[in-house]
Amino acid sequence: MTVTRELRPATRPARVPRGLRVALLLAPALGVVVVLFGGGFVQAVAQSVGYQPYPPARDLSLDAYRALWADPAVRASVGITLRVALVSTAAAAVLGVAAALLVRSLGRTRRGFAALLQVTLPLPHAVAALAMILLLAQSGALSRVAAGLGWVDGPADFPALTQDAFGWGIIASYVWKEAPFVAVVVLAALSSGVAELEDAARALGASAAQRLRHVLLPVLAPAVAAASVLVLAFTLGSYEVPFLLGRPFPATLPVVAYQQFRDPDLAARPLAMAIAVVTAVLVGACAVAYLSLSERLRG
Amino acid sequence: MSGELAVTGLRVAYNRGVPVVDGVDLRVPGGTLTALLGPSGCGKTTVLKVVAGLLTAGAGEVRIDGAPVLGLPAERRPVGMVFQKPLLFGHLTVGDNVAFGLRMRGVPRAARRSRARAMLDLVGLPDVAGRRVGELSGGQEQRVALARALVLDPRVLLLDEPFSALDAELRLRMRELVRRLQRELSTTMVFVTHDQQEAVDLADDVALMLDGRIEAVGPPSSFYADPPTLSAARFFGGVNEVRGTVTGSSFACPLGELRLGVPAPDGPGVLVVRPESLRILGADGAPNTVPATVREARFAGTHRTVVTTAGGIGLTATVAPAVPVEPGDRIPLQLPPSALRVLPDTAATDTTGADTTAAATPAAAAPVAATAPTTEDEDVRA
Repeated sequence: MTVTRELRPATRPARVPRGLRVALLLAPALGVVVVLFGGGFVQAVAQSVGYQPYPPARDLSLDAYRALWADPAVRASVGITLRVALVSTAAAAVLGVAAALLVRSLGRTRRGFAALLQVTLPLPHAVAALAMILLLAQSGALSRVAAGLGWVDGPADFPALTQDAFGWGIIASYVWKEAPFVAVVVLAALSSGVAELEDAARALGASAAQRLRHVLLPVLAPAVAAASVLVLAFTLGSYEVPFLLGRPFPATLPVVAYQQFRDPDLAARPLAMAIAVVTAVLVGACAVAYLSLSERLRG
Repeated sequence: MSGELAVTGLRVAYNRGVPVVDGVDLRVPGGTLTALLGPSGCGKTTVLKVVAGLLTAGAGEVRIDGAPVLGLPAERRPVGMVFQKPLLFGHLTVGDNVAFGLRMRGVPRAARRSRARAMLDLVGLPDVAGRRVGELSGGQEQRVALARALVLDPRVLLLDEPFSALDAELRLRMRELVRRLQRELSTTMVFVTHDQQEAVDLADDVALMLDGRIEAVGPPSSFYADPPTLSAARFFGGVNEVRGTVTGSSFACPLGELRLGVPAPDGPGVLVVRPESLRILGADGAPNTVPATVREARFAGTHRTVVTTAGGIGLTATVAPAVPVEPGDRIPLQLPPSALRVLPDTAATDTTGADTTAAATPAAAAPVAATAPTTEDEDVRA
């Protein structure tokens, strides 16, 4: 007897499309970003153009953005914000690269020093700021040592490095925190075959300085740039360090935005939100630059 | 200048431990190509990097045209090097990669561009100077690396297994290119490889390196016809080995009394004979003919591999594909006296990593022992 059986393709359980699956898996994290950050940004934009969820209703306008440039506190704030962010980023990049190259040149102690570099990474910025006060303020350790050594008549004669007009204290705090971050990123980039490229350059007659100029720095540039963009974004938008180490006037943009936000006069709210939006756009531009550089680094 | 390279008593140890290269003596006549052949981990790359100045030697001397170079930094040695990986600079164009060394020497832009293009022409890549490195294939990248080293007109060019990552056909073409360039430019070259075929195809001389020492140096044919040591015979693969004792011109072994065509010192030794030298005869009568039983006969395209047993010993012969032998056949197998070599039994175990499938002694099938650490250790970096 012959038994015939209908041949059917093996059935599989219905599969969720890949795109939907990825979206579902990412939903919790995306939800936090979209609701908290996106929602906050939308609220800030709305309030910056005059929307207020309480009476009296106001006409929507870009008056707050026009007022930004008319306000001397904001104009001064843009200057110190950019100065502090750019100087901190440049110093962190230079010192971070130098530290990474130095650590790489060490022999067996390399790992220990590399670990030491990372000690500051988990510390909160507020802790770094307080450490700078203890170290750099006119009542701090450095001023007393200088007075003890006779370099200045008394601690109060020591140059003001915190709450100063230039922002040295803020910059020092950022550099202390961010230079090791850049160094860690550069060390990771250095571990990916750069030594072999240097050997190739040596065999082609490149001296140590030529190898640094023509091989190391170009090869490390994307990694340094990506890390620097992150540092720049952070220093542009950070609030607590300039609040603790800076002057009330001129203050950095995030500090001014908070000062305006705390103003009991609700008419100041659009200006506060306009400052916050401008800061967020600057940070967003940094994020886009970072993504672009990361793409280059991978490519 | 001829570019003669002389390495004497070279010793390199990592972490102040066991030397990975010890007592290496090597002389490469100017304008010739020597293959430094050996299994992975035997110290070939270490020797090359010491000559290039990328590693420091614990002891010994390296001279180029009679002048010692160990005191010079790598960038001031008259030596070029092509690495296993192309190691092209990704931020530069192909032309700028080739011109890199000239730029480091301060050659004006126009001159270095012209020389880079000429060198790219020479390696068969006339139209790629403006391309990015990422647009090249693996073979093209290695050609560019070759052009980049040759454009500096080095007195000695070191090539560290530059084609090992390429497919077989491309490797053959690259070998031809290196050979052509070597003849046209008369550059002294040292070519590191673990591939005996590559060494034989390319080199004027082969220096066989085993366990951190130079085992033997000579023209490629001598390693086949007249291997200097048992290890050398094994590294070149597929030899039959029979242990016995030499007395005068005869060799007493489990196969009987064999006549030797080449004299050997009296006493115990290992007789080696290549499978292609064994003959399956139509009838007994020729000297050194022994009765053998066919255990296996494999077709291998250009020949048949016939595995036999004679006197309790396995012997492998390669014969023409048409020779009619089948497993179980009893055949007369001749070991021609002129093809027999008796060598001192210095290699108790095989550390060559070579194919010794035809070896008739259990000792010959010992596994590879690669003990040398990698060359990335910082303690000996120059």
